[in-house]
Amino acid sequence: MRTSSDHILTSHVGSLPRPDELIEANRAREAGEAIDDEAAATLQNAVADVVRRQKGIGIDVPGDGEFGKSVGHRVNYGAWWNYAFHRLGGLELNGPALDSRPPQRSRSGEIVLTSAAHRRDRVRFADAYADRDSGIWMGPRPTSGPVCVGPLTYTGHAAVQADIANFKAALRAAGLEEGFMTSVAPGSAYRIPNEYYKSDEDFLYACADAMREEYKAILDAGLVLQLDDPATATGWDMIDPAPNVADYKKFTMVRIEALNHALRGLPRDRIRFHLCWGSWHGPHTTDIPLRDIVDVMLAVNAGAYSFEAGNVRHEHEWKVWQDVKLPDDKLILPGVVSHATNVVEHPELVADRIARFANLVGKERVIASTDCGLGGRVHPQIAWAKLEALVAGAALATRQLWR
Amino acid sequence: MRGSSDHILTSHAGSLPRPDDLIEAWAANDEPALAEKLTASVAEVVRRQKEAGIDVPGDGEFGKPMAQRVNYGSWWRYSWLRLGGLDLHGPSLYEMEARRSSPGHVALTSFGDRRDRTQFAVAYNDPDSGITTGPRPPAPICVAPIHYAGHDAINADIANFKAALEATGVEEGFMTAVAPGSASRIGNSYYKTEEELLYACADAMREEYKAILDSGLVLQLDDPAIAENWDMINPEPTVEEYKRFSMVRVEALNHAIRGLPQERIRFHLCWGSWHGPHTTDIAMRDIVDVMLAVNAGAYSFEAGNVRHEHEWRVWQEARLPADKLILPGVVSHATNVVEHPELVADRIVRFANLVGKERVIASTDCGLGGRIHPQIAWAKLEALAQGAALATRQLWR
Repeated sequence: MRTSSDHILTSHVGSLPRPDELIEANRAREAGEAIDDEAAATLQNAVADVVRRQKGIGIDVPGDGEFGKSVGHRVNYGAWWNYAFHRLGGLELNGPALDSRPPQRSRSGEIVLTSAAHRRDRVRFADAYADRDSGIWMGPRPTSGPVCVGPLTYTGHAAVQADIANFKAALRAAGLEEGFMTSVAPGSAYRIPNEYYKSDEDFLYACADAMREEYKAILDAGLVLQLDDPATATGWDMIDPAPNVADYKKFTMVRIEALNHALRGLPRDRIRFHLCWGSWHGPHTTDIPLRDIVDVMLAVNAGAYSFEAGNVRHEHEWKVWQDVKLPDDKLILPGVVSHATNVVEHPELVADRIARFANLVGKERVIASTDCGLGGRVHPQIAWAKLEALVAGAALATRQLWR
Repeated sequence: MRGSSDHILTSHAGSLPRPDDLIEAWAANDEPALAEKLTASVAEVVRRQKEAGIDVPGDGEFGKPMAQRVNYGSWWRYSWLRLGGLDLHGPSLYEMEARRSSPGHVALTSFGDRRDRTQFAVAYNDPDSGITTGPRPPAPICVAPIHYAGHDAINADIANFKAALEATGVEEGFMTAVAPGSASRIGNSYYKTEEELLYACADAMREEYKAILDSGLVLQLDDPAIAENWDMINPEPTVEEYKRFSMVRVEALNHAIRGLPQERIRFHLCWGSWHGPHTTDIAMRDIVDVMLAVNAGAYSFEAGNVRHEHEWRVWQEARLPADKLILPGVVSHATNVVEHPELVADRIVRFANLVGKERVIASTDCGLGGRIHPQIAWAKLEALAQGAALATRQLWR
């Protein structure tokens, strides 16, 4: 993985706004069908464009925008993991919608995840979440959802190879050396009903073994692999009532171990891990502090860690790195611009945020990034303006830090 | 005005979410039901502010008509109903004719032709972008001499608010009124020059300022025009020209508040509260001396959103006169995410370290009412109070 050896590198978390024609072309894929040649060509061109555009504005380590992960509407918060449902065998896709599942109550020492519709923040602010004018709307909700009914297998080889081919061609055409591709971690992917595996842990490890195929494909292609695992942080809000931190960490470490199992023997120096608290525009009052889970995050066998630090619930948490030691060979990608506001970050604020991290962990180990994917979460015009602000802010920080 | 003598005081910029029954009462506009609803709602909103830990409450601007949950304009539209000399059926602010400025000739263009709005036209026009600002009612045209006709309305507001303060045992409260520079941005077919209209507004609005101050309340002058006019001048002028243009408005305001008790006047500056990108906001450092030229005892400004958060550094160089206070925004309407109290405390401490803790009142960027969901607005006020308590513990230890 490139490091900020002579300037602050810029990257982002993955999802970028899909062009309208790609959303249209992906409708077949949304329905679980293969895409035709015309749609495949649209996708290929869109990836070429989005890589060229990232280079044009000065993003050092671009992604493919997650364009191979289909979305059916401009407003979409779920493509980063819903895509996996079409790449795993053993699932029945016409089960009940994930939102429709009944709530689950946890007990001390016996933690279970409740349904997304019964998250604690969502319950506390039920009126705001339900109000179409509040700005929390998350796009059309799926009317069906997956259920695991047989042994999980990875069936996405053709899809991921197409993604890789599109992305590598785009990188080559833009003359870029390094790019990252996202893939969902098992702890986040397997949060669906299971009717096949005897235990939750069997199911988790089956998911880890299946997704390992995708991780290997991305790494074998020479790309940087980004593992998306918000469940590590958002699980907290999905446990009702709130557990104690020790119980939560124990619960979460099981998922981290499954992820490490999936990553065994793979080149850590090209793996980055993305943690977040969920990208919906809610109040987020029940987010667990980074301080409480930073060691859980650092237990992931990755070479770099991406996390939210650019929104008002987590901005103050740069101070965590005053006390926590980042292993010498690792990097961080703090979010210094965010999807959580339409206001475009001032480059001087971006620079201030970067400098705070650089002063604590060393400037060479900070890559300026976004809180979360921008695609589907803010308007395309605003998303691109934010990436430009990110680059402008990183340049300001570079001037301060290398003078 | 109370200063933060032994703890960081909390206040906010004015507008609070109207309860649904008050919104309905404003829509129906039936007396005496509306008047009764107002009295009860103001009592309740003052009680609730006290409960949330707000030291210097307002009346939520409840007496300024708002008949919709999403509404970004009542803070100055109310003045259209309190000024005589206006024809209320002109084109909306967005439909007014666009005007181009040129060197030596600065003119405000229409809301629809604002530079940020033009640059991000697709986003502004997308109903899913979250930028929607609610209704666009007809705007007034000045057709006769302007005079203040709102005495009954302001006296009712004052009576409701003072009764509410008394009932909750709160010593100090503030009431907002629009400044002439912001109020005069309407059509004009009567006065020969913009400056005549501006000073006519200043003389008329002075009646309202006096009424509020005479009653013993703190007067907050809302004057976003001083900052957001920058975005309303197309193409972008030079900073020098803009400052000259804005100083005319500040002088008119100072004329309107001449002889009034400065120590009970606070001034609110902001860059417009709509949820847009705000890439064309003028930098605070360019206008801080214009703001400080207002003869007020305290200054409220945005500092809690990502376009202006870094500007606390302006106070490393700007000199705040010894007898004045600041009310930086440390929670904002610009995001649904509720500020973490530790972030609120960090923001307060940065200002306190520069201007002195006794001179910082923790506040909001802008009014929360109409701009963010009521549940979230109240959660933000609670975060503000919690963050101020954390800052107090750090600063007074």
